[in-house]
Amino acid sequence: MKGTLNLVGYGLSAIGPAIATGMIFAAYISGVARQPEARSVLQPIAFLGFALAEALALFGLVLAFVL
Amino acid sequence: MRSVHRLSTEGGGFVPPSSNDFNLPPVFGNSAYTTKPILLVFLSVLLVSVFFLLASRKAAIVPSKLQFAGESIYAFVRNDLGRDVIGHEFMRFVPYLFTLFTFILTNNIFGIVPLLQFPAMSRVSFPYVLAIFTFFVFHYVGIRKQGLRKYLKDIMFMPGVPKPVYILLTPIEIATFFLVRPLTLSLRLFANMFAGHLLLLVFILGGDHLLKGVIGLKLISPFAFAFGIGLTFFEFMVQCLQAYIFTLLTALYIAGALADEH
Amino acid sequence: MKQDEGAAWSIFGYLLSGLIFWGGAGWLLDRWLKTHYFLLGGLLLGVGASIYLIWLRFGRE
Repeated sequence: MKGTLNLVGYGLSAIGPAIATGMIFAAYISGVARQPEARSVLQPIAFLGFALAEALALFGLVLAFVL
Repeated sequence: MRSVHRLSTEGGGFVPPSSNDFNLPPVFGNSAYTTKPILLVFLSVLLVSVFFLLASRKAAIVPSKLQFAGESIYAFVRNDLGRDVIGHEFMRFVPYLFTLFTFILTNNIFGIVPLLQFPAMSRVSFPYVLAIFTFFVFHYVGIRKQGLRKYLKDIMFMPGVPKPVYILLTPIEIATFFLVRPLTLSLRLFANMFAGHLLLLVFILGGDHLLKGVIGLKLISPFAFAFGIGLTFFEFMVQCLQAYIFTLLTALYIAGALADEH
Repeated sequence: MKQDEGAAWSIFGYLLSGLIFWGGAGWLLDRWLKTHYFLLGGLLLGVGASIYLIWLRFGRE
């Protein structure tokens, strides 16, 4: 077996953002399903939350390759 | 067929599937142009053309089963991907979107068709070429619609920002539109097909290898095969989804290039 | 919902290109000056700039 432990670390660090993204969009979808007119209010919040969670995942990806 | 060949030449220890399993030898002759992925791409072109020619040849008010199947795929691409996304100018782009969708879908589904069982899109050059087409199409459309200067200005300079911040933001916008978009478009398709095929190889070849082991391992191997079969259905879903996402993102990029301010 | 999916993917693209561009600039500076902190600074700058850009594009309705 050959390989680098960085990728294992990246795999572990991607768990958190994955769960976060799932929860954000789950909440967004159920919010819009309950009250469709709230969509324009919820959309920016959901996307900003998604961006923050995704930033951590991509940070891990870049550092896994660079370090 | 492939796995039998692979295991018999090794004669013994289990070699886990790796990216070497994607470098297939030529099917006939000794040329690099007759490998399995290339022949599969030609086969897909043939299949798609023949299917839709047959489906549209005797078009009737009361459609036959074949005509109905062809028309529902066409209607899906035209209405759900063209009209809903691009807007009133969508008819010009339906041929491109439709070709893209059917071509990618057929090539992906080859990954789980018995005897073929190789998704051609898991060789990275095919998604690259498709993404280059999309890249030129949406930039060309945007430049034709708005003029070169205004199009580039819209991409590079976000309105409502103090001037010094442009040093920070403009490189990101340029990198997104001219590098990251085509790259992620192709790599998403490639990585999904590659990983899916690798996953199936792990379970099927692993089950095959367990079957040759001692009695305790023989008892485990049906579980590996069952997982392999379950994952085949999962792969079918992923393959359809990736063809859809590639086409959807192409349509969204075209829509963004057509819009006055994106 | 289709536009939402497109927005999610373009957020992903912005974050990636911010990290690649400014992180890459920091990495090159590190190579050039034989230091080791410009990479981290570049990555943080890239993430910050990308999130600001995403806020400008999707956050203010």
